[in-house]
Order: sequence, then C-alpha cells, then structure tokens
Amino acid sequence: MQSVKDTVKEVVLAVFPVTFVVILLQLVVMQLPWIVFGQFMIGVVMVTTGLILFLLGVHFGLLPIGELIGAVLPKQGKAWMVIFFGFLFGFVVTVAEPDVRVLATQVDLVSGGDISSNLLIITVALGVAIFVGLAMVRIIYDIPLKYLLAAGYGLVFLIAAFTPAQFVPISFDAGGVTTGPLTVPFVIALGVGVTSVMGGKSATADGFGLVALASIGPLLAVMLLGVFFG
Amino acid sequence: MEIQIFAGFGETLVEVFLALIPLLLFFLFFQFFLLKLSGRKLLTIFKGIVLAFFGLALFLQGVYVGFLPAGEFMGEAMGSLPYNWILVPIGFILGLAATFAEPAVRVMGHEVERASAGYIPAQIILYTMSLGVAISIALSMWRILAGFPLWYFIIPGYGLVLILMFISDRTFVGIAFDSGGVATGPMTVTFILTMALGVAASVEGRDPLLDGFGMIALVALSPILTVLILGLLYGRKGREHGE
Repeated sequence: MQSVKDTVKEVVLAVFPVTFVVILLQLVVMQLPWIVFGQFMIGVVMVTTGLILFLLGVHFGLLPIGELIGAVLPKQGKAWMVIFFGFLFGFVVTVAEPDVRVLATQVDLVSGGDISSNLLIITVALGVAIFVGLAMVRIIYDIPLKYLLAAGYGLVFLIAAFTPAQFVPISFDAGGVTTGPLTVPFVIALGVGVTSVMGGKSATADGFGLVALASIGPLLAVMLLGVFFG
Repeated sequence: MEIQIFAGFGETLVEVFLALIPLLLFFLFFQFFLLKLSGRKLLTIFKGIVLAFFGLALFLQGVYVGFLPAGEFMGEAMGSLPYNWILVPIGFILGLAATFAEPAVRVMGHEVERASAGYIPAQIILYTMSLGVAISIALSMWRILAGFPLWYFIIPGYGLVLILMFISDRTFVGIAFDSGGVATGPMTVTFILTMALGVAASVEGRDPLLDGFGMIALVALSPILTVLILGLLYGRKGREHGE
C-alpha cells in the first residue's frame, strides 16, 4: 500500500527542484516584484498540499472505483457494454484531471475567452472518451497497437492540413496533458480488467497502449474543433 | 496590490465540484447495479473522494493565484531582456529540474530495466529522459524567440516515432507509448508553460496562441523517443550477447 509518506515524498520531489531554480533566478538574474514572488511561494505551498491530498484521494477513493469497475464490467461478457462504458469512463476521468483544467484555463486566458475553458475541457474529454472506447475494441478484437497508432497519427496529419494554424499547438498540448495522475492509473485499471477477461494475445504483448490512444483522441478532437470554429 | 490567497476560491470550489460530479454519478450507477459494496468500503471511497475534492481545489487555487501570475510575469520580464537568448539555457535547466527528481520517471526506468532483462539500466533511462525533456523545453524557448512553426519539430519527431515503432520490439513499443505521460509532471503545465506564454506575449511579433503553446507536446514526445531509441540500441547489443 502506498503510504502517506510516499505520496508526500513524491509530490515534494516533483515540485521543489523547479521551485529552487525559480528562487535562484529571482536572486541572480531577475527581480520579480516581491509581492509576485510571495504569491508564487504561497502557490508552491498550496499546490504541494493540494496535490498530496488529491493523490491520496485518488489512491483511496478514485482508483479503487477504477479497479472495481475494471474487474466487474468485462464479467458481464458483453462487448458493447465494455466499449460504451469505456467511453463514459474516459469522459468522466478527463473532466476531473488537474492538468487538463490548468491548460484549459491558460487557453481561455490567452485567447481572450474565444476558446472557453469549458468548451476545451469537454472537447478533450470527448476525444479521450472515443479513444478509450476504441482501445476497448482493440483489446477485445485483438487489433495490434501499431496499426491503430499509425492510423491515428495519419489522421492527425490529414486533419492538420485543414486546421487553422492557431489550433495546432493547443491540440498537441491537449494530447500531452490528458496523461495525468488520474487518467493514467484509472484507464490502466480498466485495461488490466478487460484484458484479463476478454483480451487476445496481442493486447498483453503490446502493453495496453491505452495511454497512447488516450492522448491521440484529444489531439484529433481539438483539431476538429479548430476546423469547425476556427 | 496585496497578497491574495483565497480570491475567487468560491468559483474554484464550484469548478472542482462540477469536475468530480460526473465521476461520482458514474460510480453510484455501478454501485447501485453491479458493485453493491458494503458500507465500510463505501465509506473509504467517499472519504477518498472528499480528500480528492479539497486537494484539487487547493491545487487549482494555488495555480490560479500563485503560478499563473508569477509565471507570466517572469516570462514577460525575461522575454523583454536584451539578452533574452538566456531563456534557452534557463529552459534547459528548468527541464532538468522538472524531470530528474520526478518519481514517475524513476518508476519507468525500473520498468524498462526489467523489460530489457537488465540490459538497459534504470539510471540510463533517468539521464536520457531528463536530457530529453531539458532539450524539449530549451527548443521550445528557442522556437518562441525565433518564431518558427511547431511543425518543424513535430514532423521529424513523430516521423521518427512512427519509423522506430515498426522496427522496435513490441514490448518496447508498449512501454514507450504507455509512458508518454510520465515526463509532463505537475510543474510543466502549471508553471513552465505559463512562463513560455509570458515570453511569447513579450516578444514583438509573436502570437501567444500560436507560438506560446506546443511545449507540452514536445515534452510528451521525449520519453517515447527515449525508450524506443534505447530499446533499439540495447536490443541489438542484447541479441549479440545472447546468440
């Protein structure tokens, strides 16, 4: 069992080195107004505490949900159910993912509200949802991961030709943030359950590929958003 | 200006509540129809959800009041320096700092070590990945200052991934792709990206939307490339030894 101590250590190691570099920069290269620097240091304390609480909550409350559902869902023996609930699973998890929210807020601010934070979060969540659903299809029907990835990225470059330039960097970043501390363990728990009950040979040999597929989904979804609204 | 800690905290609480509600409903549906957990287990899960709620609220509030203003300020200040090329080495150092101590990267290192039966030491993964992320962030800073499109990095990067994918061992392909997220630790999106956006806002002729974003994409690509390339290099060596 992951102890509280481990979680604290994990978060501190992830947050403090960058904080240390910022403190050095503040002292050597440039002087932020002390009030802004003070806000930053308060932010460090809040982010560290918040992340520790969140990860503990994920560990004791959210991850067991993923594991329980991952174990019970494939036992129903119906492919459509696994695919449909895999879709919903992807959606609800992404909506709660911290990094997705932070990126959406930044896009909202930088675009002056043109691409609102909620619109982006829902688009990204739909993208993840569709691709988690596809990942279930892959596991059940034993489709090798490389073909799906090659097709997915092929589609990315095809759609990119029609996407306004401003949407391209955001799309790729959206693909990067979905692989956060909530989505990854949650989606992998589902993958483990489904593979052990309904999976074919290639599912275990390729790894689950769920994380990779879950990050192509939002990339495509945000690009399409650009095609229609850009 | 005064120090603000809980400005807009009410909104953050509402946001987090709405963020967790779908997950809760999803769980309750399963609990009702399939899971039917006993009271004690249910209580533990609810405690966890409450913890996650307050954790997420505190985290987001910290980002909103602390990281976003400071990151933007720092990026703008450094972007307007006459010697703003300094952002390239600074980006490199930030990338190293964000990855080298990151526990997720270490976990992945051990996973690769096991998968390669000890041929790829975990330390090597840690070093190459930290270097990969550092280079990604340095390149992103350079891109913002110079103003060329993201495609210049994305097409060769993903092209290489696609080629390597077809000549690599399936085990490494699996590990490589499933670890795509390990390098985007909690400081990258919240702070380093914000800094990059500040830089893009301060440099003449740059559009923050077009030039500022794109860093996460490169950072997410680096572990995939690292694992595939190391898998290939060491895979050859392993086979020579084995046969």
